[in-house]
Amino acid sequence: MLALWLLINLVKDPTEFFSVAVIGLTNGSVYALIALGYTLVYGILQLINFAHGDVFSLGGLLSATVILDAFDLTAASSAVAIVIGVAVSLLIAVAFSSALNTTVELVGYRRLRNAPRLAPLITAVGMSFILQNVGLYFWGPNYTSTDNLIPNSAAFSIGGVDFQWDNLVVILLTMPLLLALTWLVTSTRQGKAMRATSQDPEAAAMMGINVNRTISFTFALAGGLAGAAGLLYVLQFTTIRFDQGFQLGLIAFTAAVLGGIGNLAGAVLGAVIIGLIEAFNEGLEWHAAGSDWTRSIVFGLLIAILVFRPEGLLGERTPEGA
Amino acid sequence: MSTTATDRGTDSGTVVLELNDVHTYYGAIHALKGVTLDVRAGEIVTLIGANGAGKSTTLRSINGLNHARKGAIRFSGRDITGAAPHSIVKMGIAQSPEGRRLFPRMSVYENLEMGAFQRKDRSNFKGDLDRVFQLFPRLAERRQQKAGTLSGGEQQMCAIGRALMARPKLLLLDEPSMGLAPIFVEKIFEIIVEINQQGTPVLLVEQNALMALDVANRGYVLETGRIALQGEAKDLRQNERVRQTYLGET
Repeated sequence: MLALWLLINLVKDPTEFFSVAVIGLTNGSVYALIALGYTLVYGILQLINFAHGDVFSLGGLLSATVILDAFDLTAASSAVAIVIGVAVSLLIAVAFSSALNTTVELVGYRRLRNAPRLAPLITAVGMSFILQNVGLYFWGPNYTSTDNLIPNSAAFSIGGVDFQWDNLVVILLTMPLLLALTWLVTSTRQGKAMRATSQDPEAAAMMGINVNRTISFTFALAGGLAGAAGLLYVLQFTTIRFDQGFQLGLIAFTAAVLGGIGNLAGAVLGAVIIGLIEAFNEGLEWHAAGSDWTRSIVFGLLIAILVFRPEGLLGERTPEGA
Repeated sequence: MSTTATDRGTDSGTVVLELNDVHTYYGAIHALKGVTLDVRAGEIVTLIGANGAGKSTTLRSINGLNHARKGAIRFSGRDITGAAPHSIVKMGIAQSPEGRRLFPRMSVYENLEMGAFQRKDRSNFKGDLDRVFQLFPRLAERRQQKAGTLSGGEQQMCAIGRALMARPKLLLLDEPSMGLAPIFVEKIFEIIVEINQQGTPVLLVEQNALMALDVANRGYVLETGRIALQGEAKDLRQNERVRQTYLGET
């Protein structure tokens, strides 16, 4: 039925269909970067890091501040200035969020490593509140807004479908990050240490792997991706607030569970699916439920997945049934 | 085959590993109540005892996963009592743990690679890999297979091979015969002797006391966290108490 609905929309107005799909992919890219952080950390500690969404919003807020105050960028700035400014804020956001996420682990979770599961989980919720309030303290309760730095004019069109600069930049920045992450996890020494630690931390220690350092590295990586997502979010939506991470974190977490938590490809797939569902639901003309229903549809899907395929789309069935 | 190496002089070897009055706890449980033992160069030393006597705890105290609360552990003359597990591996103690503990979703090759993780001399990696494949030709055939899909015997081979990839100065083996078909048990013990003859001292923890005492130079009998008996393996083999309790003879 869903396929039929999509097909009818496609036939009725193909141009609109594909334009909406591009928007879905863009949102999905940002969700994917955040979802990967949940899944990386879950993979290694079996912990849902509820503070992760807030690392994203602090990264986004900081990059907005860098864009506004350090570079004073507006829509009228020259292209060169914008490229340099954005690149520098990306680096700052990534570095800051990496350090922040690593600190959260060091302060909040490390001592609780052998405690009952519930203890670090509650700590993660607490960390989330702390980070939100840090955001509130430094950036205030209002939205921090930048100019629309990347023009939303069409970069090129194929058959009437416009590919806007802002969408394109987000997708083009996300792809290399995803490829680099895949390479890092599958082929490097550090990546193999991560996989070994996630499969059996004690055995990893017996191989001479420094488990604490590997976990710190994982948090740094997850934080870095969240920081990158924060900047991309600001570029695309031009506005961000201290509590933005709560909502986006929830969506990204849903994406990670949808794809199979602990599975990197799954997190990306889940994120793209959710991005597309949102965009189709809000953007298509013919009999779409509309934005009021988006959340219900996304979380309804989550419930359906948990009931019928609890290991997620790409997750492995484990003996624990998780 | 089960060749014993007992005729080689045991008192002449330099001490590689030394535990002196080691006390280890699991929370409030006093698991090791003063264990003193040593392993010397060239030896196979076995640690036998019933379930829960503290055999695995002794190994966990040595490899740093459960630090001893009292007493001292020295390796090649260095105090390693409170050292982190990864730095102990770096000093040259490698282990094939109880229950194999392979990385199930990594290939056989990757598991062996993890065994060599802390080594800096990547140039010898290929040679050591060949050595492991020579000891366990089966692993060479299955190098791309996920370790979790191997049979029990193959997993044990992979676990021992993985420990050898660290080029250890001391090899700890925890229950290498557990859960294996008799034919595999024979094979594994032959290989333990072969590894030892190539120059690596072995501390062997076993429930299969008969096989263990057959291949070992010396043995320790652990009972509720204490060393109850110790001596040459061939003497322990004849000991009345050992024969009744651990070898099932009357």
